[in-house]
Amino acid sequence: MTSWKEQLGDRIPEQLAGEVDLFEGQIELKKQGKLDDKIFAETRLRRGVYGQRYDNGLRDDGTGQKTLAFPCGDLTKGPDTVWDAPGMMRIKIPFGKLTAEQLDVLSELAEENSDSILHVTTRQDIQLHFIHIEEAPDMMRRLASVGITTREACGNSVRNVTACEYAGVCTTQAFDVTPYANAITQFLLGHPDVQDFGRKFKIAFSGCEDNPCGLVTFHDLGAVAHVRDGKRGFRVVVGGGLGAVPVQAKVLAEFCPEEELLPLAQAVSRVFARLGEKQSRARARIKFLVQKVGIDEFKKLVAEEREGLRPDERWTAFLDDLHATDEKPVRDPGAIPGDAPAGFRAWAEHNLKPQAQEGYYSAIVKLPLGDFTATQGRALADLARKYTGDSIRCTVEQNLTFRWLSGADAVAFYDGLIALQMAAAGAGTITDMTSCPGTDTCKLGISASRGLTGELRKRLTLVEDELDPAVRALRMKASGCFNSCGQHHAADIGFTGVSRQVGGRKVPHFNIVLGGQWTENAKSYGLVVGAVPSKNIPKAVDLITEHYLANREGDESFQAFIARVGKREFRKVLAPIQKPPPYEEDPSYYSDWGNPREYTIGDIGIGECAGEIVPFVEFGLQQAEQQLHDAQDALEAGQSEAAALGAFTAMVTAAKALVRHLEVQVKDDADDVVANFKTHLHDTTLFHDPFAKGKFAAYLLKVHAEQSYENANDEIAHRMLDEAQLFLEAAHACYERLTQAAAAAAE
Amino acid sequence: MQATKFQVKLYARAGAIELEKLVPVFHEWIRNKKISDELLIDVADYAHVPQGPGVVLIGHQSDYYLDVADDRPGLLYSRKRGFDGDFQAGIDDAFQRALEACELLEAESSLDLEFATDEVLFRVQDRLNAPNGDATYAEYKPALEQASAAFFGAAPSLERLGTEREPFAVRIHTGASGSVADALAKH
Repeated sequence: MTSWKEQLGDRIPEQLAGEVDLFEGQIELKKQGKLDDKIFAETRLRRGVYGQRYDNGLRDDGTGQKTLAFPCGDLTKGPDTVWDAPGMMRIKIPFGKLTAEQLDVLSELAEENSDSILHVTTRQDIQLHFIHIEEAPDMMRRLASVGITTREACGNSVRNVTACEYAGVCTTQAFDVTPYANAITQFLLGHPDVQDFGRKFKIAFSGCEDNPCGLVTFHDLGAVAHVRDGKRGFRVVVGGGLGAVPVQAKVLAEFCPEEELLPLAQAVSRVFARLGEKQSRARARIKFLVQKVGIDEFKKLVAEEREGLRPDERWTAFLDDLHATDEKPVRDPGAIPGDAPAGFRAWAEHNLKPQAQEGYYSAIVKLPLGDFTATQGRALADLARKYTGDSIRCTVEQNLTFRWLSGADAVAFYDGLIALQMAAAGAGTITDMTSCPGTDTCKLGISASRGLTGELRKRLTLVEDELDPAVRALRMKASGCFNSCGQHHAADIGFTGVSRQVGGRKVPHFNIVLGGQWTENAKSYGLVVGAVPSKNIPKAVDLITEHYLANREGDESFQAFIARVGKREFRKVLAPIQKPPPYEEDPSYYSDWGNPREYTIGDIGIGECAGEIVPFVEFGLQQAEQQLHDAQDALEAGQSEAAALGAFTAMVTAAKALVRHLEVQVKDDADDVVANFKTHLHDTTLFHDPFAKGKFAAYLLKVHAEQSYENANDEIAHRMLDEAQLFLEAAHACYERLTQAAAAAAE
Repeated sequence: MQATKFQVKLYARAGAIELEKLVPVFHEWIRNKKISDELLIDVADYAHVPQGPGVVLIGHQSDYYLDVADDRPGLLYSRKRGFDGDFQAGIDDAFQRALEACELLEAESSLDLEFATDEVLFRVQDRLNAPNGDATYAEYKPALEQASAAFFGAAPSLERLGTEREPFAVRIHTGASGSVADALAKH
């Protein structure tokens, strides 16, 4: 055989085969210089072939930025994206469902094209890293041969449709959402109405309101199963999202009958495609459209769109056989043996959940940082074949769940996991952290979220058995930047990567976010308590949990405790560890977890007195931080308007500090500050974030123009606080860039 | 089409491996271009994965793993891009690069590592061109024997590993007892 195309032949569905051939042709055209960079970039993204850190051909090795001399020369696969640079393939696994055969093929690809690691994402995808674009078409063919497509896994399209990993076997579900998630996946994949979005679009399903498995409230479109008068339907929400400014989805339909689900999704898609922002990426998610027009107007638009839709038999065809997606257990049900060993019982406490079907359980395989090896993947496929059948699901907590495990086989299954060293207990507890890739591989990562997660996991696992049950039950999540792929807003304790300038050097930090709610489909988000140096985060976790245990009332939950004492108290708790020691005293603070390179970019010089002189701008930024903290306190105290005004004031203070840093005369009044900020920092693009561009500056300009802090309600105040937090982060980043530029000019 | 995605693993002699110590070492290799004819890109740390790839020095042409698969730590050389040479030269080159990486690691004072030469794991990560079966074994056996003899001297014995689901793999008992430096000097 000379090629996978020839070898796999008609095992690849005709349409998928044609699509892969087309993509391969586009690769050739790009190599011949016959395809525009931007067009090719979007094309490959829509095929799931993503960029990865350093793919611009530059990498700081700890002593300065160096060029990675790839042999491809000037050939690129997108703007500033070098052809030969390793990339990531995101593989859509609709509602996380995998068969044993699919797991085998994924494992093969991990070995042959990646680094032998399969990574489960927080959206139930599988990602393979360090792949070369020219190997992508054959990878796609092999995936297609087992019913997997990477189409629209990235890009401005409908991303992987997620759903509860217990759908169909859950004890609290209204009904099994699997056939609906499958139908919407198939219906919208490649649909003409979803090809002209300004941004990505994420859909999630949940079988019930109370549990967090579906997390619908932070999705662009979410559907929660309900039965009304004996009829199936969904409470449909729209416009949720995490990212830089987390937004809770709004109710689009209290009860959408099952036959109306697909046309409703189509109508929403058409409205989004027609009216969604296309020029400014930063405001192009549907949440901004919903905010802009208001949910009532959005409902009207969707209803009008729905009226005009041409009927499509696919809207209801799947309803004729809702059992098409049912799984068939391979073993008879049974009871867990009464003499099961102690190790098994400890594992089963959190990793084994009884199913609605008596005698069957769902077993959670807890993956460290969402990773497993190709060898483990094959062995897990064998365990599935033997004990559970094709019932594996990737979970949003970056684990694998094996459903339909007979109680009679549970110990044998556990023994199988022990042989693979995959029998870690404590699924869904504090040692089961989730994390985005962060600076390990993501182009946007600011801090090492995986490094931090790995460190916390290691430390907490050592003391896991000694932890108070209330602490053990906490969920922690980490994101490497404000884009929130680690879903930290919905954690009890969340972390988001930021950087700070200290004594002329950058120090990796994480903002700590407390009080997010994971249950009830992530009903509420946490607020930032403050930034702590990355290397002090383990201490911060100790301080937070110790404070909670020492001061809680009775069996008070962590969330109830946070709500009662307020975040201000935690800021006091964390204050002693928020300032890193000088570099000369402890340089370890100036590198990130798992990465010995000094956390600096470029060649920032250190003046002889730099460590001792604090410029005005740093005072100003500190003052702004304090104002923002006070504003957060005001919100907690129920003073929405004061909180909103405080958020605005903090932005003005930070803007003024930067304007003065440019040696521009500026008055104390907000109008003058904002006018000068616009002229000298916004219009000059000095304040622009490399990726978000003018997004953060726009927060200040918009609030100033609209004076939206006046009569602000809770929701507006909350949003303004989030925006002010991001504005301040951008101000710190801007100051760092200005410092670097000045240092470079001095040389 | 000839497979070129060869992997060669040499096992560390007994002793605990502290994987975290590899991370700064591999970063330093990138910074100082320790493997001068390869483009080295980044370091991937998978120390948290049991029996996993350990710590990986990611390159353009090749990756270098301090791999802990099967709980047997060792240096795994993995070629990713095409090799410009004939079949035997491709295998010899993989052996050579694996041994050179071992020698570099042995020279790292922070690691206290030493590699054995009595056993080599050879794999081909290319199921299309080198499926794990008798025909592939027949094709590779003479070349592997020749490469082993060239580096390690004694007549080797070979053992094919795994099933057709797994990559083609051969365990080579080299019959050697010398050092990595001896093997490199011999070739």
